[in-house]
Amino acid sequence: MGLLTILKKMKQKEKEMRILMLGLDNAGKTTILKKFNGEDINAIEPTLGFNIKTLEHREFKLNIWDVGGQKSLRSYWRNYFESTDGLIWVVDSADRRRIGDCKKELKGLLLEERLSGATLLVFANKQDLPGALSAEEIRDALDLESIKTHHWTIQWCSAVTGEKLLDGIDWIISDIASRIFTMD
Amino acid sequence: MAGFKDLNLDEDLAVGRSSRADTRFDTTVGHIEDIIMEERFQTLQHDFKEKYYHHFTDDEENKLIYTDIFKEYVGLVENYIQGELKNRISGFSMEDFSKTLENRHDQIGGDILDMLLSFTDFVAFKQMFLEYKSAKEGTGMDFSDLITIRSTTSLRDEHQGMQIDPDSPREGPSSNR
Ligand SMILES: Nc1nc2c(ncn2[C@@H]2O[C@H](COP(=O)(O)OP(=O)(O)OP(=O)(O)O)[C@@H](O)[C@H]2O)c(=O)[nH]1
Ligand SMILES: [Mg+2]
Repeated sequence: MGLLTILKKMKQKEKEMRILMLGLDNAGKTTILKKFNGEDINAIEPTLGFNIKTLEHREFKLNIWDVGGQKSLRSYWRNYFESTDGLIWVVDSADRRRIGDCKKELKGLLLEERLSGATLLVFANKQDLPGALSAEEIRDALDLESIKTHHWTIQWCSAVTGEKLLDGIDWIISDIASRIFTMD
Repeated sequence: MAGFKDLNLDEDLAVGRSSRADTRFDTTVGHIEDIIMEERFQTLQHDFKEKYYHHFTDDEENKLIYTDIFKEYVGLVENYIQGELKNRISGFSMEDFSKTLENRHDQIGGDILDMLLSFTDFVAFKQMFLEYKSAKEGTGMDFSDLITIRSTTSLRDEHQGMQIDPDSPREGPSSNR
């Protein structure tokens, strides 16, 4: 390991968390990020690259990375796995047609070595839409109960109204903190 | 200068084992400080910025290519510093130094630690490029107030050969390929 990598690892012990937010395109990742950060969410366009926000929440500094989810971009996700403490998987609960895709992509991520230590939060987003699958239905469709390798939970939410976003974020922070910062 | 700090370190039998390790640690940190302040290092950074700044745009969203450039940058800086340490300290072992570092990183001066850490911070990295670019493209030029018409071509966004997913359920600005 190189000098800079070592220094960085040491620094990260100091109440900093790296959260990677992924999901199919149109799931609402960027909307969640901006809503959570108190920004306008009306003119959000598909992400072709990635966004980063650093937020202070509770006593933690969260570095949240949101990478575009279009099919052609998914092979780049791997470039963002390193040092991830928490993975937020965002689901468009109204997109029944692609729920199979959604399951497949998530399963693939959970096999990734570099994500093996990450806590998983699934956001069942767009609950304000009529016809959205419930969080329980998403849980079953994604077969979350079979996950034994990661701490996980599923949280329903709406990025547009902001409902339950904080609950999800609080859960993932607490889970990461209990795993990582117990030595302090 | 840094050159003689490490001289005779191992021959100084008067000092005990642990304080010898202290000295070695301090010496190494001193060298790192020298290395990143020297002109050669500034030149290295400058050349790197010159090579890639045209990719950068002052948009909130980051292009995927920034990540490749960032990785290259971290590797370049890291290899440079490590290579220089090997040149300057006979028998330098990054592994040993790293081990000591784990216990003593609070003993490195705050400034130098911040500077080293800034090399691994993506946001700082992007900022560095944007500053370089804006200095390059006008505001920093001596004769800028003599020029009334400026080229805007360099401000155009290149899409870096990004492919668009034809399956995407949503239309976006990306569709005007
Ligand atoms: N009704 C409703 N619409 C939402 C919600 N969250 C996001 N959207 C809409 O869904 C669309 C996609 O949102 P984005 O945030 O761009 O989705 P994304 O996951 O970032 O998509 P990519 O960047 O392509 O990966 C936008 O039109 C949002 O306004 C939600 O909770 N409810
Ligand atoms: Mg997006």
